[in-house]
Amino acid sequence: MNLISLSFLIFCLITIFIYFLIPKKLQWIVLLISSTIFLFYNNFTVNTLIQAGIVLLTSYFFGILLDKYKNTKKSKIFLIIGISILLFLLIYLKYTNLFLTTFNHIFNLFNIPHQFKMQQHNSLIGISYYSLIMISYLVDIYRNASQAEKNIFKLALFWSYFPILTSGPFIRFKDMKYSLYAKHKFNYDNMCRGLVRILWGIFKLLVISERLGSYVNTVYSNVTTFNGFFIIIAMFFFTLQLYTNFSGSIDIIMGISEILGIELPENFSLPFFSKTITEFWRKWHITLGAWLKDYIFYPLLKSNMMQNLNKICKEKFGKKKGKKIPLYLSMFIMWLIIGIWHGGEYKYILASGIFQFIFILAEDLLEPISTKINNKLGINTKTFSYKLYQVIRTFTLFSFSMIFFRANSISHALSIIKNMFIWNPWIILDNSSLYTAGVDFLDFRVLIISLIVLFIVEFLSRNGDLRDKLFSQNIIFRWGVLFILIFAIIIFGCYGPSYNKTDFIYRQF
Amino acid sequence: MKKTLKSIIFLLIFLVLWNITFNILWLDKNSIQYFFKAKDNTFDVVYIGSSNAYAHFNTVLAYNKYGYTTGLLSTDLQPFSLTKYLIQEAKKHHQNAIYVVDFALAANDIKNFKEGDIRKTIDSMPFDEIRKNALNMALNQAKISKKNILNFYFPFTLYHNRWKEITINNFYREDLYKGYLFNESTIERKPQKYTPFTAEDELIDLAEINEKNLIDLLEYCKKEQIKVLFVLPSRSFSNDTYMKKTNMAIKIIKEKGFEVINFNNVKELNIDYNKDLYNSSHLNVYGSTKYTLYFAKYLKEHYSLPDHRKDSLYSSWNSEYERFKRDFKKLTKQDFTEVVNNYNYS
Repeated sequence: MNLISLSFLIFCLITIFIYFLIPKKLQWIVLLISSTIFLFYNNFTVNTLIQAGIVLLTSYFFGILLDKYKNTKKSKIFLIIGISILLFLLIYLKYTNLFLTTFNHIFNLFNIPHQFKMQQHNSLIGISYYSLIMISYLVDIYRNASQAEKNIFKLALFWSYFPILTSGPFIRFKDMKYSLYAKHKFNYDNMCRGLVRILWGIFKLLVISERLGSYVNTVYSNVTTFNGFFIIIAMFFFTLQLYTNFSGSIDIIMGISEILGIELPENFSLPFFSKTITEFWRKWHITLGAWLKDYIFYPLLKSNMMQNLNKICKEKFGKKKGKKIPLYLSMFIMWLIIGIWHGGEYKYILASGIFQFIFILAEDLLEPISTKINNKLGINTKTFSYKLYQVIRTFTLFSFSMIFFRANSISHALSIIKNMFIWNPWIILDNSSLYTAGVDFLDFRVLIISLIVLFIVEFLSRNGDLRDKLFSQNIIFRWGVLFILIFAIIIFGCYGPSYNKTDFIYRQF
Repeated sequence: MKKTLKSIIFLLIFLVLWNITFNILWLDKNSIQYFFKAKDNTFDVVYIGSSNAYAHFNTVLAYNKYGYTTGLLSTDLQPFSLTKYLIQEAKKHHQNAIYVVDFALAANDIKNFKEGDIRKTIDSMPFDEIRKNALNMALNQAKISKKNILNFYFPFTLYHNRWKEITINNFYREDLYKGYLFNESTIERKPQKYTPFTAEDELIDLAEINEKNLIDLLEYCKKEQIKVLFVLPSRSFSNDTYMKKTNMAIKIIKEKGFEVINFNNVKELNIDYNKDLYNSSHLNVYGSTKYTLYFAKYLKEHYSLPDHRKDSLYSSWNSEYERFKRDFKKLTKQDFTEVVNNYNYS
């Protein structure tokens, strides 16, 4: 079920209506039924049923066992078995082809005349999200940070809460259990706030992201014709498309949850105002970053293996340099996992993993040199212009890495980069060239105006939720803004039979 | 209570703005939209057909001459198979009207029509059972994907995208010249070869589906005792097979007891095929003036039609005629009354 579809709208309206109509103690059951329908919508097969059974029963029983054998030797074994089952299912359903491709490359390298055929697995929606969410559930019980849920149906709701199945955010049981199963009274203000957030999400998706997508798709599918500045624009446009698509979906998810009275963690915090890639990743897909830090990076850094390595490196390279090696190694492993999580293809590993690691490593290693150069040249790093330069640099670096994310393959990405270095800036200046790449003159105008609106809204949101400011205005201004937003979506939104809608980019994960 | 009231007011404002927005973004204004917005029982003649109808019959001129009102149910490339549904719909609102059906496209297979041609008619009809039946028939016969059926019930998903195509036409009132659309250009600027209409006894069978649709329409009219006059407009038919198929349609209509006028054979009309057409299929304002003067008189003489010229309820018909005359003068630098007097039909 697509987040922007009539079926999803009707589905949400029915869910919300029943949710507030029935006795409050039964509200979580309504959510469970809706989530089950959403989970199996158009995908109800024996295969998916078995998958759901494995995930739910593994999480439930190992959760109970971990709770029962807390602080004993057995608990570690139960944790390892539980995580292994969940990981095996995730790897089997999502990453089989990554392994098969790797084997095929190795066979080619050694001239072994055997090639594995790629496999198609039918997995439940949101597998990459709920697998990690359920792993964190088990780990938190093991760490005494949370207790196991004794009611399997309540656990099923935590696992399958329908709004987050498409694009996240990552939730944790200890943060969610009260709000998910609590009794919620209908709140008019929550409904208004939720609806405004949903509208803003739809605006980002239909008015901005889809238009950016038309341009990007045209350029990326024909880089020999649309080369040079066409590609440079497409490179920046794809980053914006990814952001508006992903954050727009999150806005809809947050809005629905807000109406239901369920609080979810924020996933974005103005990432494009970041001055470094490190800062960028603290503000982009926040819950994924936090999850990986808590469940991969820190445990890895504190592991015996890394502690031993730390000792050896300190002895060999000195205290300051020595402690960096295990840190960088842990970071590398974490970024590798982020890359793999984004998709079972090398291009994702490179774009979202390796490149980001290299950028962050370079920032760390080059920081003293950069400070020295700035001091020698007398560059004032506190000025607006310097900060602007840093913001543009971060945006450009991230956008460059995303060429690999969007391209069909690594070789396609390399061909895009090769064609990018063709000097044709006049396509921006003449009156027609720019409008031949899938977005015509009028659509381009709508796109630019929408991006300016997006920038203003993001800029004004730096000091808090802009909705608070909107709702404190008088009714004429407030309603005026809402009607402009609604009719901008209705008129300028890319939907209906004349559009080939691009799916939600993060839905595939 | 205050919050509920606020929500209701918000919703009402939204609906008003929605209505205004889609009135502008909707299809270019056409006669069908005007027809169904007009008051009930205000049309004496209902004229149904494709673009020939609104380009050929000057409704305000007919009113000015004889005082009866004509409602046009006509869009560009309107599939003939929709005629029955348009009559059903018109009958609901204008019980005593007589019907003129232009059957120039009766031999044209509905499969040759594009979704857009069908939409222009169906999307202009009111949402009711008749529209639903018309849609089902069109979807089945034109083999349009059922996947798009939802867009016929929620057409804004299609038309919201027309913001790029908005012209001054979208802001016109639907009742401009009471549905008549004139073109002042002449064939002299775009010479076309004229082929005379073939003899009526030269026949080729209609496609099975076309024959079925035609018979279905005729039997419906007969059963409901609807007064219908079938007309074939003066135009240049270059396709010999098509003319012979049209002759077959004439034969079937006559056999069922309905009157047919083939204006291609009406010499008194004096249509100059090099001067009175603006393209191969349509009469320009001069040709349509000749056609209207002749045909309006014929209708007045053969049917009992009222004269509303002294009725203040119909004053808008006079003002639209005056507007037409002014616009005609602006475009052609000629006085329309003189043009009418020159033709000397009345």
